[in-house]
Formats: sequence, structure tokens, C-alpha cells
Amino acid sequence: MRVNDHADRTSEPSVTSGPAAEKAAAGDAPRPLTGIRVIDVGNFLAGPYAAAMMGEFGAEVLKVEHPIGGDPMRRFGTPTSRPDATLKWLSESRNKKSVTIDLRQADGVQLFLRLVAKSDVLIENFRPGTMEEWGLTWEALTAANPRLVMLRVSGYGQTGPYRRRSGFAHIAPAFGGLNYLAGFPGETPVLPGTVPLGDYIASLYGAIGIMVALRHREKTGRGQIIDVGIYEAIFRMMEEIASVYGVSGKVREREGSGSFVAVPHGHFRTRDDKWIAIACTTDKMFERLSVAMGQPQLSSSGLYGDQRKRLAARETVNVIVTEWVASLDRTDVLRLCLDEEVPVGNVNSIADIFEDEHYIARGNLARILDEELGEIVVPGVVPTLSATPGRITNLGPTLGNATDAVMRELLGLTAAELQRLRQQKII
Amino acid sequence: MPPQDPAALPLAGIRVMDVATVIAAPYCATILGEFGADVLKVEHPIGGDALRRFGTPSQRGDTLVWMSESRNKRSVTLDLRKPEGVALFKELIAKTDVLCENFRTGTLEKWGLGWDVLHAINPRLIMLRVTGYGQTGPYSDRPGFARVAHAVGGIAYLAGMPKGTPVTPGSTTLGDYMTGLYGCLGVLMALRHRDLTGEGQYVDAALYESVFRCTEELAPAFAMYGTVRERQGSSHNDFACPHGHFATKDGKWVAISTATDKLFRRLAMAMGRPELAASSTYGEQKTRLEHRHDVNEIVRDWCGSLTREQVLERCYATDTPAGPLNNIADIFGDRQFHARRNLVSFDDPETGESIIVPSPVPALSETPGSIRSLGPKLGEHTEEVLTDVLGMTSAQIADLRAKRVI
Repeated sequence: MRVNDHADRTSEPSVTSGPAAEKAAAGDAPRPLTGIRVIDVGNFLAGPYAAAMMGEFGAEVLKVEHPIGGDPMRRFGTPTSRPDATLKWLSESRNKKSVTIDLRQADGVQLFLRLVAKSDVLIENFRPGTMEEWGLTWEALTAANPRLVMLRVSGYGQTGPYRRRSGFAHIAPAFGGLNYLAGFPGETPVLPGTVPLGDYIASLYGAIGIMVALRHREKTGRGQIIDVGIYEAIFRMMEEIASVYGVSGKVREREGSGSFVAVPHGHFRTRDDKWIAIACTTDKMFERLSVAMGQPQLSSSGLYGDQRKRLAARETVNVIVTEWVASLDRTDVLRLCLDEEVPVGNVNSIADIFEDEHYIARGNLARILDEELGEIVVPGVVPTLSATPGRITNLGPTLGNATDAVMRELLGLTAAELQRLRQQKII
Repeated sequence: MPPQDPAALPLAGIRVMDVATVIAAPYCATILGEFGADVLKVEHPIGGDALRRFGTPSQRGDTLVWMSESRNKRSVTLDLRKPEGVALFKELIAKTDVLCENFRTGTLEKWGLGWDVLHAINPRLIMLRVTGYGQTGPYSDRPGFARVAHAVGGIAYLAGMPKGTPVTPGSTTLGDYMTGLYGCLGVLMALRHRDLTGEGQYVDAALYESVFRCTEELAPAFAMYGTVRERQGSSHNDFACPHGHFATKDGKWVAISTATDKLFRRLAMAMGRPELAASSTYGEQKTRLEHRHDVNEIVRDWCGSLTREQVLERCYATDTPAGPLNNIADIFGDRQFHARRNLVSFDDPETGESIIVPSPVPALSETPGSIRSLGPKLGEHTEEVLTDVLGMTSAQIADLRAKRVI
């Protein structure tokens, strides 16, 4: 991963003044969003991650923050010796420039509208109604810029009876039906891996919406709103669950480490007290597993060769696999399964991941320099594009690092005007 | 949802060939179809996509998940293991904008349909390649499934009770959908680049990478402090407390999240115990984290003394972030899901069976996505496509059918 000059936090970032300037700054490969300017006025991750992805692929992202303290994500998560930056902030505010504007002041709102007039995309995640209270209605925004594409992310979406409720963190995924399903049958539902999973997924849907809307804008000249409820981003991914309930009234319950539709399909503990995932979705895969286990007779038609028989004898089959896995170290289970092409993988901790040769080969662990903190390891860009790969040019910026440059170069403000705005704490 | 004129949708005029199976790459094509692309689902003449058989069957025989996720697609059968099938595929590629595939690495190359060949036929082609581990790297030829991707990508390790068995993170297909999303985003970026330059490219998406990308600060925290995050059960108290799932008197569950002191004050009000948020008790996050067991127990006791409805009513009254852990029955009865039209019902034209599926996400104000039809029958549109797109005669089509190429 290339680290370029933009990672130097003390130098004032310059503002794009045209496609040529951006192209020159972009380095080796072209990027598809060059020339697109995004204002990210959201907090935390749900929405701002969409801006981060657009920044990876060449958009100029202006993170508009409150002059005092800025985005609370600067203080949420594991701290660093930079008081304005947790590790979460550093990683997920990648490629952004920070501009401070107080939207609770009328002058701040006017300034913001002038910025909107010069931008393509606006991303926000306030409680629905908040921007309207500040006078930043869709009418006011499109009066400033009829071509504006706006992504609005909230827990429950912009409409419906619950729209004003807060849906932070794991609440929207719980509402969307995911959390109910994580855990052992009849036991406590656990968090499905990480708390902000729903924020990431909502951002992915949001970024897709933005790309579709930009395309529509190219054709028609008209912008529009993308309205994402975090809960519905999660619910959309619940495969057959709604349809099954609709036709049969069957309620999906927690399935522990296994699966209702296939056996063996779950997590198993190895002799060295690690865990491994085995997923035998089809009979053919179980046949391979039985060979790997040195017990090919298990997949005969008289025994467990047929998925239906395995589902009926779920406990017995799982015990056989559990005992086999427990008799070997993880590396041996993995090797024996891979030799037979059984779908298998380590249940990786983050320590495992840092040692994994595949992660290293794919560049998934990007090492980016922060002038004050030194090298920070963050997840690399996903997905990989062959002709126009995304990249990380800088980690989360210091608060207001681009305020002056943006106000001067983009809005044409003078030094005296900047001073007044600063004195009045508008920027 | 009223059927919409697909010609007015933003991806009208884009032709997608979905030669993939199950959910990951096909879900990318599904989204493109919702926004107006013409999606040709290219399937093996015998049996077609395995998703037709994976899960609960509809009355028609194809599974419900097939019906839902193959929405808006047209099914065309083609045997890529036969030279004539390969030739036909190449003809279709010349008239296609986006190809979605998720074969094991090297499979298309083995059939003479690698990127170089396809790119030479159609330099404007965009190709989404989804695999478990990506097209490069030492594990690129391993079989990959979402369950394995959850494990390798690092979220399965984090789901479960402390020191207990790692559990499925809610759904066994989560990583498939996530990769469909990343892949779709990549395709849309590539389409933009192509419109500007005329140049096509391929998108290389790996199931495990989609999962790993969403693990927030796990990587930087390990690199800087050596922190290995472990399973934490129903409460994640790394940075905030209370922050998790709590059981209610009626055997249901609620999620409560008090990320800040202000939010904890609201919860204390909801519990009728404002004194808990005093600075001398648990008013500060640091104190709450130090006494997480005590704080969690107070909240657990309170939730356990009331029904879910009562807990939520009180939390909402003070604007405390809280919500139910919905199961699918809860969801079908919920006003918000109805108001947002998240569930939409279709009648299968063949059997008359009503099938309820999730509506398109995200909601666009001017050009909303739409479901024009549910999953097609195997080969339902083969003739139509070969006639309209490739201009073949019925005699040629009959010949192909006799040779089982289609």
C-alpha cells in the first residue's frame, strides 16, 4: 500500500480545483470517482463508511465536523497518544479532510449551503428531522444544488412510526432480526461478531445507492435522496426467513454453531484448543470429509451419505466429527481437509490473521504512516478493481485540518472573513 | 409495490450475465436488476443453479430463496462444458456489459473463458469474480463458503459466550450477501470508469475480505497494543456499559446501548433510578466499565421484572437507545416494517402460491428499485434471449436443444 504525502498531517491539504489537479495528485492508476466531491456530515460509521469507500476510489471527501470536539468517533474506541483520534477514527476516516462548521448557527448553515453548491454528494446520519430543524431541508439543499445526491442513514429510515428513535450500534441489527439468531437454541442471544456490523452494511447499501443515483444524474441532471434504515439493510440479508414464515408460519430460531440445512456445518474444537470451521453443504463434500477422516464408510448410502440421513442423525454425525477434530491439532485438521478439498477454514482471531500468509499476500493489512503515531495497520481496500484500484492516502485527519484551504479555495473567503468566523466559533 | 417501467430505471440498457451460483455474486446481479438492468441468469441445462434446491421449497419446486433472490432475472440454459456452449457464451459476452461469476479460480480459464479471452471479445466488459479467497494469494484455489469466510474473516471467533463455542453470526449466508454488496459497488465504480474511458475491467472480490473489512479497529488495536478481542457473549463492554442484550419477564429479549454518559442518564430515568447516573455512582463511563458486572446486573434485574413491551415503552419515553430482538414473527407484526413496505407479496403465476420477500434496499426517492417478477423457471427465457439477443432461428435453437447445449 502506497503512502503518499497526504499522510503528512501538518501540511495543509489543497482542495481540488479541477479534474486535472486531482489526476495529477492521484498517483499511478486512475480512479473512477475522481472529480466527485462528497460532504460527510455524519458521526460514527453508518454513512461515513460510505464516504470512506468513495474516498478510496478517488472522491474528495470533506468531513464536516462541529468546531468543538468534532465527530464523537474521535473519542470512541481504543485511544492513541493523539487525543483527537482513536484507532477506529484513524482507520475509518481514511482519505478524508476535516472541515469545521457549526450547523447550529445560522451563519454556519449558510456556509454549509455554499459548500453543498460545490459538491456532488452529501452524506448524513442525524436523527431524522435534525437537519430540517437547522433549515437544511431537501428543498433548501436542492435550491443550492439541484444535482445533489444525498445519502441519509438512520436506525429506522426517514419514514414510518419509529423514524425518530435512535438505532445505534446493535439495536438496529437486533430490530432487523439478526441478533435473535446468534447463539445456542434456547440460550442467550449473543452479539453476531462485532457491534457496528449493521453500520458497515447500511453504508454498503448507501454507497450502492449513491452510485446508482450518480448514474441517473448523469443522464437526467437530477439528484435524489437515498434513504437507508440500518435495520432494513440487515433484514434484506435474511435469505429465506421471511418467505418461509410467510408460507408456513415457521419461525427461525438460533442454531448455535451449526446450520438447519446441512450437517456437518459448524465450528469444532481442535486438540490444541483452537477452532475450525467445516461446511459440508452437499453429499459430495461430506464424502470428501469422510475420506479426510479416514472413515470413507461413513458416506456410504447405508450410513450418512445422504444429507437427509445426516440431518436426522445430526447429533451422531456431529459427535463423530467433533471427536475426530479434537484428536488432532488445527494445522493437521486443516491440511487433511484441504487435501480432500473439504470446505474448511480456521476460526481466526485477530492474532491468527496477522500471521496468515494469505492476508499478507492479498494486502489486506495496510500499513499507513501517521506522522505523530508512526505506522498504523488498518484493513486494506475492498473490493479489488483491476484497472482502477482504490487506495488509502491518509488516515483520519486532525480536527479542521482542511478548513482554511476549503474556505479559501472553494468558497473564496478572505483571511479577514476566516478570522471573524473563527472568533464567532462558526468554524 | 407497483411494477415500474424498467426503461425509466437508472440501469436500463445495461445487460448483466449472471453465470454464478447460490448467493454471493448472484446477489450483485439481483441489485443491478432491481435498478433496471436486464439480468440473464445463465444456468446449466440440467438442474441449473444449486440455489433452486438449497433451503425450503416453494409449491413450484424451486426454493423460496431462489424465488426471492432471482427476482427480475431471465433464465437461459447453456452448457459451458460443451464447445458449442462456449461459442454461444462468447457471442452473448459481445453483447453484455457485466458478467458475474463465482466459479473456483481457474474454472473459466479451463473452459477457455478467462479474462483475457473475454476482454478481447468485449473490451468494455466488466467482470465480477467472487471466490472464497480471491483470484490471487496462496489459498486462492481453496473452496470457499460463507461459513468458512466468517471464520477466516474473524467474526465467527467473536460470536458466542466467553470461552464457549463460537456460534454462527446470525446467518450462515451473511458473508455471501456482504460480498454481493462489495461486488456490486465495485461493478458500479467500474461502469462509471467505463463510461468515462471506454475501458472495462474485472472486480476481484473474496468472501473472507468482505467480512474482515467490517471488523472495525481489530487490526490496528492488535498491531498497536497486541489486543486480541475475544467472545463476549451478549454484552460488548469494550467501550460502553450497559451495551448488550437483556432478557425480559415474558421470555423475550431487548437490546440496550448506552454509548455515552448522557444516554446512561436517560436509561437511569427510564429505570426510575436517576441516582444511578450521579457522578458518585455510575454517571461516568469509566466507572461503569470498571463495575460492568454490577451495572449489567442492575439492568438485567430491571429488564427481568418487566415485559418487553414495558421495558421498551419506558426506554422510548426517555429516548434511551433500545429495541427488541425481533424474530421473524415479530417482524411480520411490526408497524415500521409495514410503513416502510419492507415485505412485499407476489403470487407465483404457475401455482398461485403467495410468496413474501424482502423489498429492494436502499430506497431511492426518484428511481426506486423494483421487483417485476420472482425467480424464473429453469430455461424459461432461453428461446426468447437467443432469438432477441443473438438473432437465432427456431431451427438453430431446436438443434442446440437436441444436442443438449441449452
